Amino acid sequence: MPSAIEVRGLSKRFGSVRAVDDLSFEVAQGRVTGFLGPNGSGKTTTLRMLLGLVSITEGTATIGGRRYLDLDHPIRHVGAALEATSFHPGRRAEDHLKTVALAGGVPLQRVGETLELVGLSEVARRRVGKFSLGMRQRLQLATALLGDPEILILDEPANGLDPQGIQWLRSFIRNQAGMGHAVLVSSHLLAEVEETVDDIVIISEGKLVLQSTLADMATQAGAGTGMRVRSPEITRLAEALNAVPAGWRQTGPDTLVIDGATPEWFGHFAAQHQIVLYELVQERSSLEDVFLQLTTALQTPGFAPTGGQAAPFPTAGDPSTGGPA
Amino acid sequence: MIAVLRSEWLKLRTTTIPWLLSGIALVITGLLILVYFLNHGDGGPRHTGGFGGPNPNVPHTVQQLRNLVGRGVNVYVFALLLGVLIITVEFRHKTVTTSFLVTPHRTRFVLGKILIAAITGAALAVVVLAGTVIGGGIALSAVGGSVSDMVHQIGAVAPGMILVYALFAVLGVGVGSLLTNQVAAIVVCLGWFLILENIIGGIWTGTVKWLPSGAALAASSVSAGGQENIGLFNWWQGSLLILLYGLAFALLGSILLTRRDIT
Repeated sequence: MPSAIEVRGLSKRFGSVRAVDDLSFEVAQGRVTGFLGPNGSGKTTTLRMLLGLVSITEGTATIGGRRYLDLDHPIRHVGAALEATSFHPGRRAEDHLKTVALAGGVPLQRVGETLELVGLSEVARRRVGKFSLGMRQRLQLATALLGDPEILILDEPANGLDPQGIQWLRSFIRNQAGMGHAVLVSSHLLAEVEETVDDIVIISEGKLVLQSTLADMATQAGAGTGMRVRSPEITRLAEALNAVPAGWRQTGPDTLVIDGATPEWFGHFAAQHQIVLYELVQERSSLEDVFLQLTTALQTPGFAPTGGQAAPFPTAGDPSTGGPA
Repeated sequence: MIAVLRSEWLKLRTTTIPWLLSGIALVITGLLILVYFLNHGDGGPRHTGGFGGPNPNVPHTVQQLRNLVGRGVNVYVFALLLGVLIITVEFRHKTVTTSFLVTPHRTRFVLGKILIAAITGAALAVVVLAGTVIGGGIALSAVGGSVSDMVHQIGAVAPGMILVYALFAVLGVGVGSLLTNQVAAIVVCLGWFLILENIIGGIWTGTVKWLPSGAALAASSVSAGGQENIGLFNWWQGSLLILLYGLAFALLGSILLTRRDIT
């Protein structure tokens, strides 16, 4: 199946700052792709290049094989809800959507339908200036959905939503994918999208860190599993482990972490060697840990979080050159 | 194209811009009518005893009546501001992001603004004209003049005035597409028309016909019959000049907008 969105060697320079640097990734039809990275890592700039709002320094960004600028009535193909997009405060929600529908070649009946869909029917006649942040987010989403597009691009859509709103957003996004639509959703928090996405693209400092399926990333996270053991006989324990041999590292005065061990194996091992244990905990690094490792390794040269493996990616030269978000 | 104009009109009428500008333009036109009567009608003999002297000379010549009906042509600067606001409001409230998502070709976006500005600029002229006829008619009948004689001059005055307003609204969009900062664009426009043009025209009198205000005077003379327009272009040359200024600015503005990053 052809990719819904394809980004190839994409770069953006703002003066001397490389906000996006040789970025390539794909978004598949019918799947939800999380676009992750810390604030200022170039997510928004990438999305805006994809949508023709920011000029491209190098590379290509296409939607269904075509540039956004070349799409006929683009909002009927791509719905975008971008951060920091605003509304005229004096305009009613309904009128805002009407202006978009008229100019975008969308039938006016969609205005009521999308307001209903995002739960804003009650306030359709209210001026947007009186809207809360959460209501603006919903109106932004309604604007994106107006043309009934097969591709959705959502930039930090959960910002400003209350917990019920976030729950609603999740099921909404899953629903879109269920209808065969492609969704690219950006966030600086993996936890926010973890339950929603199929694929992930992680960037940091404008560079691609990882593109993978969520399942593969979970496996990678599982590889970091270990046993944390607290014992008064830590020296004897270490000697016994070296004899196996098993990988371990000391994380406290009486604490060790043993790589890849299972509780069953270690329980027998400790009994065999008659080692007293105070504590035995299975540690599993979460997706969030992996995400943090991948992104902070680039952002803060020389710093690796405690217990983390060495960063498998080259560190960036200057941490202060983060582009605008 | 009809849909784009409907969208632009909906955008415009859901802001305070057209209502506020029409209101102010009407108030100022009212003041100009008042001044006209206090001066006993332009084109007629002037009373030298100051404002409001006794025995006013009632406007009755064709030229006097045309000057009365055409009072509002002097506030064409509001059509210019209308054009400026039509485009800069999108940047002020950041609605331009959505507009560019809907219409990614920015030249097309500016073109839509030009068309709605021309139409609403012409409509503004009609509103001001209607206000002038009502206000001027009341004042004229109060001093014992002939309202029907005045009404007969509308046909001669209206085309030029509507043309000038429409063209200046287009010029406003041109300026606004270059200077998207609303406050800066308004300051530049008012500074130019209220101060700089007078200075330039005063120093180099030969340049007057090339200046937008000189062109406006020329363009409006399609109606103003015996107006002394010596040294100015004729009406269609003047109109063309305003249009060219407007389109030149809009073209430059479109090129700059196309290169601009909307972040």
